[in-house]
Amino acid sequence: MTRYLEAYEGIVGAPVINRLRQLGKGLAGKRVVHVNSTREGGGVAEILDWMVPLMCDMGIDARWEVIQGTGAFFNVTKSIHNGLQGYPAAITPAGWETFLGVNRQNHALLGELLEEADIVVIHDPQPAPLLKLCEKRKGKWIWRGHIDISHPYRPVWKELKPFLESYDASIFSMNDFAHPLPHPQFIVPPSIDPLSDKNCDLPFSELEEVRARFGLDPNRPLVTQISRFDRFKDPVGVIEAYNLVRKIIPLQLVLAGGGATDDPEGKAVLDEVTEAAANDPDIHILLLPPDAHRTINALQRLADIVIQKSTKEGFGLTVTEGLWKGKPVIGGDVGGIRRQVVNYHTGFLVNTPEGAAHRIRFLLHHAELRKEIGVKAKEFIRENFLLTRQLQEYLTLFHEALRGSDERRFYV
Amino acid sequence: MKPFEIRDCALLTRMSGLSAAVNLRELRDRLAICNPNVIYHHFCETPMTPTFDNPDYRNDFAVWVKLHLGDRVLAERLGILDPYRFPDLEDLRAVTIDLIDERLSELWYVPTAPNGAEFHFTEATTVVFDTGRRIEHPRELATAIRGMTNSSIFFHYLEAQRREPPGMDDFSSWLLEFGAEYEKDIMALCSIDFTFFTLSELKSELVGLLSARGETP
Repeated sequence: MTRYLEAYEGIVGAPVINRLRQLGKGLAGKRVVHVNSTREGGGVAEILDWMVPLMCDMGIDARWEVIQGTGAFFNVTKSIHNGLQGYPAAITPAGWETFLGVNRQNHALLGELLEEADIVVIHDPQPAPLLKLCEKRKGKWIWRGHIDISHPYRPVWKELKPFLESYDASIFSMNDFAHPLPHPQFIVPPSIDPLSDKNCDLPFSELEEVRARFGLDPNRPLVTQISRFDRFKDPVGVIEAYNLVRKIIPLQLVLAGGGATDDPEGKAVLDEVTEAAANDPDIHILLLPPDAHRTINALQRLADIVIQKSTKEGFGLTVTEGLWKGKPVIGGDVGGIRRQVVNYHTGFLVNTPEGAAHRIRFLLHHAELRKEIGVKAKEFIRENFLLTRQLQEYLTLFHEALRGSDERRFYV
Repeated sequence: MKPFEIRDCALLTRMSGLSAAVNLRELRDRLAICNPNVIYHHFCETPMTPTFDNPDYRNDFAVWVKLHLGDRVLAERLGILDPYRFPDLEDLRAVTIDLIDERLSELWYVPTAPNGAEFHFTEATTVVFDTGRRIEHPRELATAIRGMTNSSIFFHYLEAQRREPPGMDDFSSWLLEFGAEYEKDIMALCSIDFTFFTLSELKSELVGLLSARGETP
């Protein structure tokens, strides 16, 4: 989709747009290639979906490439993902060979493009081996880790680390996630696109249509968690919290998410969630298609409270989305959620289903406070977590990578 | 007179390479060896990363000591440090370490942060760029400042304090070229107690002050 910077002027102001244009000037014509493992589903694809067109709008020759993988490859990379987030995942030598083999096949397709690029940004572990395969590379290569690798399962990290060490720089969402690597490590939190279907304003009629489509009762409070069906998102824990609350307050729960093409575990987790819901008609488990952005948007806007009770979380873009819609968010006290949910200001941080239940009840009893929190939450996101901020940091990083000097302050 | 060239800047946070500090003693030991850029970042660049709630203190060390070590005594002592009053960052480093040593000598235990609340030593890369806009005459200054981004204010007022001439913002330096006529404006600009201002507040203060002195309202 084509996007233009000026479209965001009404949200962030003209000076911010001018600043981005100025920063982009010095990068005009540079060839930048982003590589990840899925075109749709998950936060990385969403970010690239807006970032690449906006970079093009600034005159940068930006491209987004997706590596092609097999089922076996995505099983291995899911285990790598779990291992990096601290889950003791066993990956056999054959599994690592599959990982490398698929990257070799992708090198055959993308190698020439990547070797000629001025900047290559590799997102997450799946395409990480491409760097070593591109022996004639000319530009700077940056590895962008989107997940929480603050306490990885050591065997997985030790196997993966050699693929990352030769990069010119790496980017992490939070400083807690950074690891000792022999290159500069930058901190760039992710962000959301306020004009995307997922986050734009919606007409009342559309909200009502979504409410009716899923049989939601307008007279009872609604709690919503949007996320892919992944154990680290703790959907079963959310149902436990709901069960604790409904004994006192009649409410409804929506657990909605899509699958991602690089996540083979989703079906198993969805089965666990369905079983935990035990046919309760007020628990709405929705497996949505990858393009159901407006539906997700509406479900967040219809909610009285947005929940994201993750037990591990790189950043939690669904938290950002909920806050942007002016909702108090109850979030797991982990990872990037801690940067967004400020107790009593933008929501509450919790560690258990009991904690979540306690805060749901508290918020449902304080309607005025919910409104106040919602107003603060939206401004907090406007200031810190919209795409213009992230784009500025990427442009700054590209300038830094291309200039070939170690001075901390420089003029462009 | 040369026109005032309005510049802007963008900061990018990077890890310093030092391990995170878990307790006060580790904070002290890492402060003793860190790059001066790290000290500058944690003391002076905090306004560039706006926080949601208004912190009690204006440097990251004091905030961490209060929030995660729970030591309000040391937080207050560190919190009052004004980094712009130290001509050299090494002097600031020495005073900071001395305050921590003093506190360690008063305590029978080493204050320790809970798991997940370690202090991460970071620094920033700053890219400065020309906005292409110019101020031709001092009477245009207030209006021009009103239209600046917060990061321009940071560059021309706060960051400038450490450049030549030290302790002076870029606006005052420029007004100096216009002679005695603008002495009062320079004195007013230099007397702003900016420590407790956010960048937006500082901008309003600058605009208000110049407007009140008869410049462009």
